[in-house]
Amino acid sequence: MFGLISPLLRSTVTKQWTKVLNPAQGPIPSGFLSSLGTIPSRLQSSESKTGLITERNYRFPPSGFVPSREAWVESLETIEDKKVGLVPLHPEVFAEFPRIDVIHTNIKWQTLYKHVDYSFARTRAEMPGGGRKPWPQKKSGRARHGSIRSPLWKGGGKAKGPRGPKTYFYLFHADMRSKGLKAVLSAKLAQDDIHIVDSFESLPSEDPKFLDALTAKRNWGLSVLFVDDTDFMPKNIALACHRRPGFTLMPVYGLNCYSMLKHETLVLTLAALNKIEERILTFDRRLKIRDFRDNTRPPVKKI
Amino acid sequence: MSGPKSTDLALQLLRKLPRIGIGNLKPLPQFKSKPYGRGPRNTGIDGGRNYPEQQKKGSQPPMGFEGGSSPYYTRHPVQWYYRDHHLKRQYPPLSMFSLQRSIDIGLIDASSPIDLVTLCNTQIYKIDPTQRHFGVNLTEDGLQIFKAKVNIEVQWTTEAVIAAVERNGGTITCAYFDPYSLAAMTDVKRFFEKGIPIPRRTLPPENCLEFYSDPKSRGYLADPAEVSRARVELAQKLGYQLPDLTKDPQYEMLTRRKDPRQVFYDLEPGWIVNLQDEVVLKPADEEVRQYYRS
Repeated sequence: MFGLISPLLRSTVTKQWTKVLNPAQGPIPSGFLSSLGTIPSRLQSSESKTGLITERNYRFPPSGFVPSREAWVESLETIEDKKVGLVPLHPEVFAEFPRIDVIHTNIKWQTLYKHVDYSFARTRAEMPGGGRKPWPQKKSGRARHGSIRSPLWKGGGKAKGPRGPKTYFYLFHADMRSKGLKAVLSAKLAQDDIHIVDSFESLPSEDPKFLDALTAKRNWGLSVLFVDDTDFMPKNIALACHRRPGFTLMPVYGLNCYSMLKHETLVLTLAALNKIEERILTFDRRLKIRDFRDNTRPPVKKI
Repeated sequence: MSGPKSTDLALQLLRKLPRIGIGNLKPLPQFKSKPYGRGPRNTGIDGGRNYPEQQKKGSQPPMGFEGGSSPYYTRHPVQWYYRDHHLKRQYPPLSMFSLQRSIDIGLIDASSPIDLVTLCNTQIYKIDPTQRHFGVNLTEDGLQIFKAKVNIEVQWTTEAVIAAVERNGGTITCAYFDPYSLAAMTDVKRFFEKGIPIPRRTLPPENCLEFYSDPKSRGYLADPAEVSRARVELAQKLGYQLPDLTKDPQYEMLTRRKDPRQVFYDLEPGWIVNLQDEVVLKPADEEVRQYYRS
């Protein structure tokens, strides 16, 4: 079992594993260790409602050459960290190279595409007046001027000033967006900032203090991004995060690099995890028109 | 270790580093823009950038000017290697390998006649009539693996390709299309949306009339009787058994040909296809019909 766990997670996993293995620490869910074979009867408990989650149905199975990452499945039922499973994570999403530059270009795009520069300055032509020569060209002893709205004058027009509104919108390559998501997910998993929970339904209280205590106990930091596969959130977590700065609820279709980096911790439900992997891998393995194209094209015949 | 070594090392390294956030990202160094303006390293008139010298110093004599004597490039006679190069017809190639692959993966339906419209609709083959592309040149690459039985209409090809198609029981024709017809064929939807009549295909120009009326190149203007004789001759020359077309269940499809003035199958020149109302408008005026007649 330990051989399967990636070296990144090994230290934390070992700690939690011993904790759960000891039946004196708390009730053990039935179905626990089902992947290992027979279940010792002393580990089975009739109190638990759900079995241990250990398997996932991949729509795009991993190649097998790169072992899967693994993550604990936690529950929001109690303030203490309670594990309800251990799931594999797709290596093509969660073990990609953490390209900082790709993340940077994504963040830059997300900042710029919505930015509109409204700054505007009038030129000398757009200002009122200034058509009359202020004083004769010669014999006054003063500098020669033709208009009081010249850019040299105080209160004159602006030469080469900002001509807003100017949009900074541009389209960013979909491939790079996909790469950015994978890079952020891999980096955050490597830094132990991704947590998988079974569901947000399991949060027992709508009191924000309960969620505060839970995040403080589990060292989830000051800002947490909760991601579910649907945009109809359960009542308890919706009320707990309401008016609580730093805690954000987000559906999978809103997932983006900026929000993931803005929050310290990313909390995914199992359904969200499945959907994120499916969306990214569907995109990556789509049939591109260049796959059909014949690259070994001889030169064009001229007749 | 899991994954490529570099990936794993990078992820291991990230565990010891501060959390990645919006504030500590950096682009690759080559994408940083060069600073412009005044500073300790940016001195002089150009601020570290190029300043056109000619603009600064005024105009110079033209390149090659030798002070009044006959310049070098006009002293010797010209050899026109590329004379009328821009006027020559171009036939962008399509290999038999690509054709077979397109049929295998279902991009092309071999049970109906294949022409340039079919090829362009796959979007893996494109021609641009404005660049003097005059259609497809079916090349010999992948000739050995070609197994499909097709009725294909190309614009240029070779004897080996003709033999490979006919050995499998298929037929091939070399047909000329003028640029206006090609513009309609390469993007059919765009052409129909214009609402103009389907053009009447012109006859080939003088310098390729021979090719398109030669039975050996399966020209579309050749006599059909001579073409069938040439089919047998080619089979005897290269030593393969020519399948009998008349006993083929797909005889109708394999022997289907366009009129020399026709651009699309089933549509005649002069007709207008209205995509919005899904109707075809045919000319009623006798004078117009006479103009579009073959």
